Amino acid sequence: MSQTLLDRGGRGIERLGQAVIRLWAEALEDLDFLAVVLMSAGSMPRGEWSFLVRHVWQQIYFTAVQQAYLFAVVGVIIGVLTAFPLIVFRIEDPHLLGRIMHIMMYHQFSPILAALFVTGLSGAAITAELGELRANQAIDHLAAMGVNPYSFFVLPRLIGMVVSLPVLVLCLNVGVTVGAAAMLSLYQHVPPTVFFRVCLAGLSYGSLALTGLMVVMQAIHVILVQTSRAFRVGAYVDIPRTLPRAFARSFIGCLIITVLFSLVRYG
Amino acid sequence: MRVSGWVLDRQPAPQPFDFQALPGELWMLVGAVDSGRRELIYSVAGLSEPQAGRLELFGRDVARLGARERAQLHCRIGVVLEQPGLVPAWSVFENLALLVRYHRLAPGDAVEDYVVDFVESCRLPPAILSRLASELSPLESQWISLLRALVIRPHLLLVSAYLPQETLVAGYSVWTFFAEVVAPMRMAILVDAGPQALPIDAATRLLVMDEGTLLAVGQAGELVRHPDVRVRRHVRFDHA
Repeated sequence: MSQTLLDRGGRGIERLGQAVIRLWAEALEDLDFLAVVLMSAGSMPRGEWSFLVRHVWQQIYFTAVQQAYLFAVVGVIIGVLTAFPLIVFRIEDPHLLGRIMHIMMYHQFSPILAALFVTGLSGAAITAELGELRANQAIDHLAAMGVNPYSFFVLPRLIGMVVSLPVLVLCLNVGVTVGAAAMLSLYQHVPPTVFFRVCLAGLSYGSLALTGLMVVMQAIHVILVQTSRAFRVGAYVDIPRTLPRAFARSFIGCLIITVLFSLVRYG
Repeated sequence: MRVSGWVLDRQPAPQPFDFQALPGELWMLVGAVDSGRRELIYSVAGLSEPQAGRLELFGRDVARLGARERAQLHCRIGVVLEQPGLVPAWSVFENLALLVRYHRLAPGDAVEDYVVDFVESCRLPPAILSRLASELSPLESQWISLLRALVIRPHLLLVSAYLPQETLVAGYSVWTFFAEVVAPMRMAILVDAGPQALPIDAATRLLVMDEGTLLAVGQAGELVRHPDVRVRRHVRFDHA
């Protein structure tokens, strides 16, 4: 009996170890992919620059410009929801409210929510698009005819996402602040101007830089996971299988990045 | 194009072989299914690695080149694979102009004329240029894929697909297209296209492959008398 339990425990630890090793191996694969993409940028021919500019702008347009209003609206709703517990607990001190907004929303939940949205909207679209180009051999054709698939397909999306995600986090935070300010003004009689002022006052260059770095790392992670999974597509039937896996992996990675940065910030 | 000591990546390891294709020569790969025809095309195109061997493209050893120089060599290779490989969301014009712009084969403001002239020289209706690639029929997609490989005026054309059996213009045969458009470009052509792709006559140059190695090289008229029965089996030009 005790031997069986011991065996089961041993197998459990072994599985856990394998999962950690797999996670680590996948992280190394992503870094390897990033290295290939960055090296491809160094050997870009002059003819590719116009495509790079055009595709970066397209990525920014589809990810940030088209979705900005959606993020602002979602931000307002989340701001309203965030204000309810503060109202229930009768927290009226504007400075405490400002600190709660900073710690909870600006530096943690908003970036995670933005990453979740972007992964689901743009990330999935990128995986589907590149997966199709892999399945119909467009990437193979172009690679054989001298087009570097990493600098042509991945680099513009990477740059576009690195620009877009911070913009979307900003939109979300503005929405959250407006939503929370409206509710607190209505129920707690905290003047919106006071609330805005305390929210702004708590933002230091250091905390903004750390959050900015975190968001940029999330953007890089999302694109690396989505494009590297798309590049592994062999046939059309692989695309529906790849999409949810890439989504889950991107989101889990973003959560881990947020936890690591929170440890640096508060730990 | 020249390969020497070429060993395709498959198990068990096939025999190494040498082969050379000169400008203006059209070579057709023949052999049974899974005889290594596809792998040969893919390895020369740089899409797969051989187990061993040396590849020279346009007089340069590919293994000794850096990424940028290798890309410069590859811009002189036209490739047609099994799937058409067009970007579905782009128009036919964008698909054709991509490589012209990327490799700067024409000044920016002359790309449109370059592509339109080329399409007209292939007797295709210019109206097709404005259509989305996703809207094309399979036959049209095959043709645009072939035209994309040719629009860069390659020095080497690698075809690993069943070529379209008919053109988009009535009364204009594929053979006529090759004679009128492709032959004057004086490129080396390697076609793995199955026995019905292009007419094979006694003068057609054949590469007979079996189990990943090259069994025989020569003109179909000579190979019909080859002592190896495996070679004779694949050398038929009765439908020419």
